[in-house]
Amino acid sequence: MNLLLSAEQTLLRDTARDFVQRTVARSPVREVEAGSDGYDAAAWAQMGHLGWTGLLVAEAASGAGHRSLELGLVLEELAGGPVIVPLIPSAVLAAVALEGASGTSPLGTWLEAIAGGEVIATVAVLEPGFRDEWQKPRTRLDGDAGVRLLTGRKILVPFAGASSVIVASAVSDAGLALVVVDTRASGVGMRRQDDAGGEPVFEVRFDGVAVNPESVIAEGEAASRLLDRVLQHGALLSTAHAVGLAQRALELSVEHAKTRVQFGRPIGAFQAVAHRCVDLACDVEACRYAWYQAAWKLDADAEAAFEIAAAKAYATEALRRVFLNAHQIHGAMGFSMEHDLQLFARRAKTFELSFGSAPFHRERIASMMGMAPAEGPGSR
Amino acid sequence: MEGHVLDFAFSAEQTAFRAELLELLREELPADWNGFFAEDRQTLAFTREFCRRLGERGLLTLAWPVEYGGRGSDIWTQTILREEMTAAGEPRGPQYMNLNYIGPLIMMYGTDAQKTRFLPPMARGEVIWTQAFSEPDAGSDLVSLRTRALAVDGGFEVTGQKIWSSYADSPADWALLLARTDPQAKPSQGISVFLVDMRLPGITVRPIESMGGWHEINEIFFDAVPVPADALLGPLHGGWELITAALTLERIGIPRYARAQRVLEQLVEHAVATGLTADPDVRQKLADLRVRCETARLLAYRAISLMARGEVPASEASMARIHATQLEQAVGHVGLEVLGASGRLGRTDEEHAPLRGLVRQQWVHNIPATIGAGTLEIQKNVVARVGLGLPRSG
Repeated sequence: MNLLLSAEQTLLRDTARDFVQRTVARSPVREVEAGSDGYDAAAWAQMGHLGWTGLLVAEAASGAGHRSLELGLVLEELAGGPVIVPLIPSAVLAAVALEGASGTSPLGTWLEAIAGGEVIATVAVLEPGFRDEWQKPRTRLDGDAGVRLLTGRKILVPFAGASSVIVASAVSDAGLALVVVDTRASGVGMRRQDDAGGEPVFEVRFDGVAVNPESVIAEGEAASRLLDRVLQHGALLSTAHAVGLAQRALELSVEHAKTRVQFGRPIGAFQAVAHRCVDLACDVEACRYAWYQAAWKLDADAEAAFEIAAAKAYATEALRRVFLNAHQIHGAMGFSMEHDLQLFARRAKTFELSFGSAPFHRERIASMMGMAPAEGPGSR
Repeated sequence: MEGHVLDFAFSAEQTAFRAELLELLREELPADWNGFFAEDRQTLAFTREFCRRLGERGLLTLAWPVEYGGRGSDIWTQTILREEMTAAGEPRGPQYMNLNYIGPLIMMYGTDAQKTRFLPPMARGEVIWTQAFSEPDAGSDLVSLRTRALAVDGGFEVTGQKIWSSYADSPADWALLLARTDPQAKPSQGISVFLVDMRLPGITVRPIESMGGWHEINEIFFDAVPVPADALLGPLHGGWELITAALTLERIGIPRYARAQRVLEQLVEHAVATGLTADPDVRQKLADLRVRCETARLLAYRAISLMARGEVPASEASMARIHATQLEQAVGHVGLEVLGASGRLGRTDEEHAPLRGLVRQQWVHNIPATIGAGTLEIQKNVVARVGLGLPRSG
């Protein structure tokens, strides 16, 4: 037992930290957000080189094996910029969805390109009106053997505008289906959506898009299990990313508490303010070690469903507390777009509303604890 | 430093040790054992006997060096021992304090004569210690304590009043006493630590009945008590440093998350058996407590990882305690909410009391969880100053 990072892991984290500092100095995040792409293409171009896009991909497919802990350390740092890049949609969600693809198949070719960072891939699972009903798409995959047709609408598809390929969920005669769609294919349309968070998201329309058999990743029970695996990885690595957001909120808050003088002293000398900083720090550390543990287990090929659900359930509510405290410590200043706090606060809300709510993950934990599974709206 | 690779698992040896301990507890604990010892004298007597048996097997002071009667085990094996003892409701009784911080403090600051005299009886499980820190006017503001130790021929003469002293009436054989030796110096620079024989003339103990009904907390009156010179632990007037070290050890010493999780597990079993978990709200709340057991445990393990590397993790120990104590309270409060009106019933002989009053005990027992060893607010001050570098509050 030892919860302290190894020298190699510390080095990777420091490398990522330097990368983030250089990146935000070169391209300030507000400019990136206002740009037409909505992400930092120059920063992204370096990620494959750094080996970060292949951290979850098997060595057989030109990746680094299953290194979610290392990828999480990188994501924590990227969040602290923030550096806006499609690492989670492409190197986590799409990479996990395609992890079973064999090297010579068209899907395997996509996976290798994803691992190398040569293409951006994304995942389309949410539909109009959804909360987080990942397993219940209305988008249809019609037809039997041979080429089938994909029809439906997806929302909040991250980085779709920059993606070469989309992994989409649909319902077919066999149940759930996961298919790969080339974004240049006929019948694919997209529109940028306005999101409370900070990453570029799109409505994607599939208007009778032709899907050949080689583009079907999985169908039926296998597709459900695979999609759940994608969700679990998304929950875990988005938690790592969220800890980076929370860490920045902590640093900004402590800095403000030390330097902002009212009533003749730094406000951090008032216990009411100091204790909010402490509450914030306690939440950050709890979230951090929860995701470390889950990632460590996952990488060791151990059963990590409980640890992932625990990390996401805890962090989802902790992030809300963290930013309530951070905003309160900052006073009016923290509400201005000029101050950096908003950059992290908006993304924290995205995290809270992604990859399953706290009740969703707690319900899973309840089942694992032997409590009768819920019926009705709680079950998904 | 061995390995130093991130590792969230215990070794096979450590896991086997845990299994061995669980087996031992199954064999040794009385059938109606509900944990925590100060409720009656018979239970207390059992804990003395239990400690002697642990001492014989070398299980009391596992991580102590061999020269002081220990087995020189690693800190994680010791953590496992602490977890299983705390989870089982602390069958070692008051003696956990000797092992967690009084003994280690003597190892750190004691003379050879003090080590030889005090450590072996602790290792054999023969001795009960109390701590004499707080005073009626010195609680969170401990540094303002007024009990005097006046230098006299052959030693010191101690006069003053201490309060909230755990286990003084058990009865304790020895006390770890904080007293002022230099009233002229700055408050933190005039305090010394003494190892005081509780049989000395002039010492009176008065038990304080608590909400739990136990006689676990006491007042101690010192009336011109003649304390010999060799009772001084560490440097004269330099006791504040010792007490800071002692409190860090104490804050991390009790794995409160382990008890919280054990009570939660029994509650879940009861809730499943009685159909209470058909209510989604019950499922949500019990799952939430389970998650918090996990984060509290991880924060404790982080502090222990730092200790294993030779650091003194003051801020991290306080963070771990902040999580663990609030979790313990939540298990009591939420647990009783789940049980509803029936949860009010207690005592082991009440046939309608769910889990023989276990959850009610959890609630009462943990009212002072966020008060002892430094209140929640004091713990937060430690994190604010040491961990975050915030200015001292004025």
